[in-house]
Parts: sequence; structure tokens; C-alpha cells
Amino acid sequence: MFPFNLFFGKRRYSSARQNAGNKDVRPFMPEQSEGEEHPLDSDLSRNLEEVARRFPDWPDFVVFRFASGSEQIPAALLYLDGLTDKKAVNDNILQPMMSSQQGNSSTRFPEPTIGDVRRAHNWQELEYAIMNGDCVLLLDGCAHALVYNASGWPQRSITDPQLESSLKGAHQGFVETAAQNLALLRRYLPNKELRIHKTIVGKRGKTTLFILFLADVAHPDVLEELRSRIDKIDVDAVINTGEVAEYIEDNPYSPFPQFILTERPDSAASQLLQGRYVVIVDRSPSVIIAPSTFISLFQSVDDYSSRWMIASFIRLLRFLAFFIALLLPAIYISFISYNYEVIPLQLFLSIAESRERVPFPPLLEAMLMEIMLEMMREAGIRLPASVGQTIGIVGGIVVGQAAVQAGVVSNIMVIVVASTAIASFILPSYDMGTAVRLLRFPMMIMASLFGLVGIVIGFMTILIHLMSLESLGTPYGSPLAPFRWSDMKDTFVRFPLWSMVQRPKSARPIQDKRVGRGRPRGDD
Amino acid sequence: MKVTRLNEITLMQYIAIVHGAQVGTGIFSLPKDIALKAGADGWISILISWAVITLAGCVMLLLLRKFPDDPLPSLLGKIFGRRLGKLALLPFIVYFGCFGWIVMVNSMLYIKAWFLPKTSVFLIILLFAVPTFMLVRNGMRVIGRYAEFILYSMAWMPVFLLFPLSDGHWTNLLPILKDGWTPVLGSVRETLFAFTGMEILFFVYPHLKRKQYAFHGMLIASTLTMFLYTFVTILCYIQFPQDEIVQINQPLMNLLKIIEFRFLERFDMIFFALYLFVVSRSWSVYGFATAYSLGRLFNRENHTGMTALYLLAILVVVFVRQPTWNQSIRFGDAMTIFNEWMLFIVPVVLLAFVQIKALFRRRTPG
Repeated sequence: MFPFNLFFGKRRYSSARQNAGNKDVRPFMPEQSEGEEHPLDSDLSRNLEEVARRFPDWPDFVVFRFASGSEQIPAALLYLDGLTDKKAVNDNILQPMMSSQQGNSSTRFPEPTIGDVRRAHNWQELEYAIMNGDCVLLLDGCAHALVYNASGWPQRSITDPQLESSLKGAHQGFVETAAQNLALLRRYLPNKELRIHKTIVGKRGKTTLFILFLADVAHPDVLEELRSRIDKIDVDAVINTGEVAEYIEDNPYSPFPQFILTERPDSAASQLLQGRYVVIVDRSPSVIIAPSTFISLFQSVDDYSSRWMIASFIRLLRFLAFFIALLLPAIYISFISYNYEVIPLQLFLSIAESRERVPFPPLLEAMLMEIMLEMMREAGIRLPASVGQTIGIVGGIVVGQAAVQAGVVSNIMVIVVASTAIASFILPSYDMGTAVRLLRFPMMIMASLFGLVGIVIGFMTILIHLMSLESLGTPYGSPLAPFRWSDMKDTFVRFPLWSMVQRPKSARPIQDKRVGRGRPRGDD
Repeated sequence: MKVTRLNEITLMQYIAIVHGAQVGTGIFSLPKDIALKAGADGWISILISWAVITLAGCVMLLLLRKFPDDPLPSLLGKIFGRRLGKLALLPFIVYFGCFGWIVMVNSMLYIKAWFLPKTSVFLIILLFAVPTFMLVRNGMRVIGRYAEFILYSMAWMPVFLLFPLSDGHWTNLLPILKDGWTPVLGSVRETLFAFTGMEILFFVYPHLKRKQYAFHGMLIASTLTMFLYTFVTILCYIQFPQDEIVQINQPLMNLLKIIEFRFLERFDMIFFALYLFVVSRSWSVYGFATAYSLGRLFNRENHTGMTALYLLAILVVVFVRQPTWNQSIRFGDAMTIFNEWMLFIVPVVLLAFVQIKALFRRRTPG
């Protein structure tokens, strides 16, 4: 499936003819017709009957009836237990309303002490409010409901993100609540040019998406493209950011990630400053950064806070790791089974010696070990840390030692597999690491079929694929191809920050300059 | 609407494509081909060919400047009218198709001889066809990106040729012009063939974003090629004496064979495998020219189907004919005359035709 689509797969968004015709015929959820509104009644008891009809048997649904203020107006408070902050409900809504001391003659009933309040006039609004964790107050003689935002659903505290732990950057990671994530980003960019667009995705799930960008830096065309793609998402619900990314990416038939997904606010803020867009998905701790390039998946925000020479060295190491992870097993296979004349005789003899007892052809031997490695890696991820150690020991001893002694695989093969594994973990983007790990297998097959030529053709195919990829309409291969000289300052080598005067061209910023005139020099 | 609007390329991509179309497999045997006629002065004929080819490029640009947004098919359409234009396109399609074919077959023969002696020719061409299809169907922009990436990422290759320099004898080059100018001029024809690729301007120029640099780009591209050829030729000449070089089929290969590292015994194998990246540019560009023209001939919006058709045709021909070295050389010789027409006669004739047409048009309504 995959290689076939690599050649024939139409880029979903490149052509002008959009899928106008094939809108799904059957809606997956009986939609209430938008035009028909069911207004609220002014009689409380009739309203409560309707409530009982609409929310038939929800164990966590609370209807609290009470009489409010000095006039003892019948009232009812509706909310979902667990989605609301109980303390706020008790202290700020119920207490002021039920105590008769506060009952002021100037108002008909005492006000709850919550600032975020709005009115709901029909049942649809009311339902939506309740299901989103708001408190709804119904009063007798009132044809509207008051909706108080006292939401307080289960939340995780802000911690260091696990997948991208930071060395020198901030240790706050995004969490599952979009409002908090927005706040985290605003702390980095207290700038009025930071614009936020809100949209809702999913028919059933109704996930809130926020598109963030710097209005005077980011290119408006990209925003238009991004919004139109998000608007086209037509699903039941999106659970995680990765799903949104898959719906809006340019080429769904590519192994490479076309957006950066990050859990680090400092990384997102730095990308915003480069003129890119950030999409926050409610209920998911990672955000989408778009448009991104191949090179940007090799950059880490920590690069900018360590010394530039060291950062450059580490970045070069990552590129080397990319090639090792992708090609080393393939090169091993081709050198052993096809092009043995390339390596010096001494080395070849020592390899041959270690392979003496191995009964398998090189491809099978390599496949065996690589698949073993992938299994160990996957097992290590899913298991809790205490059991995970066992995997390390079992893997180390069984695969490293016993397999070699039993003559199933050669020593050199173990070295190759180990280097591949380490190399694939160096890449800062997890998605890029997995892409490389997957592509290693076709490369190995090509090497076993055609030797060095197979590797070259395989790599050529990957290269051409990378160059035809686009991320939100901007070339994925930039700044390598199309070549952008000014972006080279932040590609293989990270130049000193004061010399990177311009924002990267690959993000298509409309405002180029980002650094002032040089740093102060000399003693004055 | 401008057909090239969505496929604009930068100056560097323009240079890389033209240069890439010129450099193919010919470079391996070039030193020998020139030495056969011109002896040690062969490198001078490269310089002469460079001057001639640049002049031809100028003529092409003069013609293309009058139709800045029209690739060859619509250019012919505008000159000759729609029907006649399509008729005139046919020989061009054959030309570009054959050229892409011959570059591919030559590379295949090298690969077969050096890496995969037991693999069938068909299979190797099939191997080439896969990335080529992906590249060609994506159009000029992606070809441009690929070409420029290869241009600078493979720039280290000539540097390695300097390694055996210390064993060479500069005296091999002396005396300069020992037999006078006649042999030098005599081998210009062979050298010109190595510069083939300039005619791709018919397809590249309309895509160039900043047309004012078209001439500079063309000059830079052909100069790059000239430097590369001269460099390789001189290195081969100082390494091997003249009587030896005429007997070596691929002097560049023998030069590479000398290079050896302690950790890498046959560096030439790696070098040659990587050279596939360089050659692939050449056949892809020709393949694009063919597929695109075919697409226009049948009024197709995109040329994906035609790319597949072209590659399929190549595969069928290869499967039926099973090309060999001798066939390929003979075919190449037959192409030389075709190529000369295309490079020197056709642009001049077209330009003259356009000028005369313009002259008449100016007179008749007045």
C-alpha cells in the first residue's frame, strides 16, 4: 500500500478541484435543525419537566431546587457533577443566593459572585452549556436561564513533558486544557499582535481549536489555507492533536511528519516568533506547529540556549544519526552480500569470521535483529517503568549475548542494530524517528536485492518524495531545496543568535527582521 | 492563464537544471573520445565547444524572450498555429524521448558492468524508472529542487579526483598545440555532443521566475559544465600518457580506481553509485520534456499518464532490444547529427521565421 501510494497518491490539497461533490450522504448523528429553536418557558415547573425529559437518567446530573433571596423565588440550579468546581458552586452561587441577609431590596434576588455569566434563551444553548461544565440557573418567572462558568473538570498539573524533556528551557509542558495552554503561550508573548482564532471541530465531540499566530509576522495566505482545511474536517469527534494533524496534512501517503507536534510552550512560542502557526487542540497536551520543514524537525529549542558551537555540533550529530538510522543496516547487507570488494580485506575477514556460524543470509539476519529491536522498544514504551527495566535486561542478555553465542546472529550485526537504535533515538522529533525506523526496512530489502545501487535508488526515491512534499503549501525541503542561503544560518550549523538577523524564509514570514543591529561590542 | 505560474523556479534551480541536463554519462569516456582526434590538446576543444554552445544558448534565449511564458509546445503553437504547431512538435518529442532513453540506457550499461552483471537490463531500467516517475510527474518545480540539491550536495565529487594528482605528469600536456589547430578543431564535434542539454532551455526558461537573469544563468550553467569537463580531461591526461589513454574505454573510471583509502578499498564503486544521482537529473529532465510535450500534444492538463507511458515505452524497448554497448554507441553516433540540428539549426530557423513573420505583420496592416 505505502510505496504504491507514494507514487500515485494525489496530494490532497494541491489540486484546485476539491471534494465538492462527495460530501457524505448519511450524517453520523441526527442533527437538530439549526433554524428550529425551542425557547425556554417562564414557568419554572414547566421548565423542569422539560429538563427531566431532555436529561432522562444521568446519574451525574444534579438538579438542585431552592428558594432564593428574601422574596423566596423558586429557583433551580442544574449542573453535571464532576465537570463543575464544587467549591465555586457552593461558595459563589448557592451561598449568596440562599442566605437571606444579603437579600437587598433593590434587586429581586441576590447575585451569585461569579463574573463569567451569560444568558441562554433556548434549550440547545442550555444543553451545550451543561455538557461543557457550566452551571445553569433557572428562575421562576424568567424566560431565560443564567449560565455561570464554574467549570472544574479533572486536570493534571503542569509538568515537564515526558517525550521532549528539556535541558535548559522551561520545564512547563502543555496540559489537556486549552485555556491553560493559551495562558502558557501568552506568558511568552505578551504582544497584542498575537492573534487567536477559535473554531470548533467534530459533530459529537465539539473540540475547540485555537489557531495562534503573530499577525504582523505570519503570512496571511497560510492562515487562509489552514483555516479552510480545518473547516473541512467533518467527523464525529477528534480525540487527540495527532488526529487533527492527519486530517489537515498535505500528503497523507507519506511516512514523514508534515507538522511538528510539541508539548513544550517555549518551543511553540519560538516557532510563533519565526512566523509559523500554532494550533491548540482542547483536551490534548500537544500542539500543531505549521508549516514545518524537514530541517525544522531536526531543530530543538534547547539548541538556542546552549553555546552555538555545541549546539551546531549536536545538530550535525543528528543529521549523521539520520543517515545511520536509515542506511546502516542496508549498507551492512550490501557490503556483505554484494559489494564486498569495497571494504578492505582485513575488515572483511573479521566480519566473515564473526558470521562463520550464522546460518541465515544477511537480510534475514538483519531483519530478525531489527524486528527484535523494534519489539523491545515498543514493549519498553508500554510497560510501567518498574517492569520496563526487565526488558532492558532481557533484551541485553538474550539478544546481545545469547543470540551471538548460539550463532543465530553475528557480533557485527549486534553492533549495527545497536548503533541504529541509538541513532534513531537522537532525533528530537519522535515522529521523524519513527519514520526513519520504518523506512529502514524497505532500504534493507533494496540493499539485499541490488546492493549499493539499490541503496542509491532507494535513497533517491526518498529524496524525491521529500522534495515533492509540502506543508501547508510551503516546500518541505526548504531551505535545502529550494535552496535559501539566508536560512543556512540555522540549518546544519546554528550561527550565533545575533547573526541570525532574519526570520527563516521557509516559514514565509511577512516581516523579515527579528534581531536588532548586532550585539554591543568592545568596552564602551 | 500562464501555464507556468504554479511552477516557477529560482535562478539557482534554472542553472542546476541546465547544467544537470548537460552532464551525463558522457564524462566517463570524454577524455578518450577527444584524445582520439586531438591528442593532448583535447582540452582546448572543450573551451571552443563551450564558446559555441553558449552562443547557441544565446540564440535560443533570443527566441524564447519573445515568448516568455510559453514552453516549447505552446511556443510552436504560437509560431505555426495550432495544427501545424503540433505537427512541428513531433520531431521534438522523438528527440527528447530518444535522448532520455539513451542517457538511461548508458547509465544502465555502466551499472550492469560494474555492479550487477547478472541482473537483467530490464530490471535495472525498472529500478531507474521508479524514482524517475515520481520526479517527472511532479513537474518542473520539483525537478528544479532535486537538481539544485544534487548540484551542491554532490559538489565534493570532483575534489576527490585530485587525490592521485601527485602521481601525475604535467608534462603529458606539453607541448601545447604540437600539431596545430586542425586536430583541435576536428574534435569539437565530439565535444559538442557532451554539451548537449542546452536545448532544455525551451522548457526551463518559461518557468524561470526572474527572466532578466536568464542569460547569466545559462552562461553560469554552461561554464560549470565546461569547468567540470576541462578539469576531468586535464586530470586524466596528466595521469595517463596519450598512447595509453586512447586504449582505455573510460579513463575517468581508471582514474577513480587509483584512489584508495585504508578503510575503503574500492572508492570508485561508492563514487560511481553516487554518480547515479547526478545522471538521474539528466534523464529526468529529458523525460519531463518528453512527457510534457506528449501531454500537450493530446491536450492533457497533467502529464502523469504520459510520464507512465513514456517510461513504459522505454521498458518495452529495452525488454525487446536488450541494448548492448555497441548498440548504444551506434545509436549515440546517430543522435549526434540530430542533436546538432536541434542545437544550432532549429533555434536559428525559428528565430528567423519569427522575425520575418513580425516584419510582414508590421507591413500588411500599415
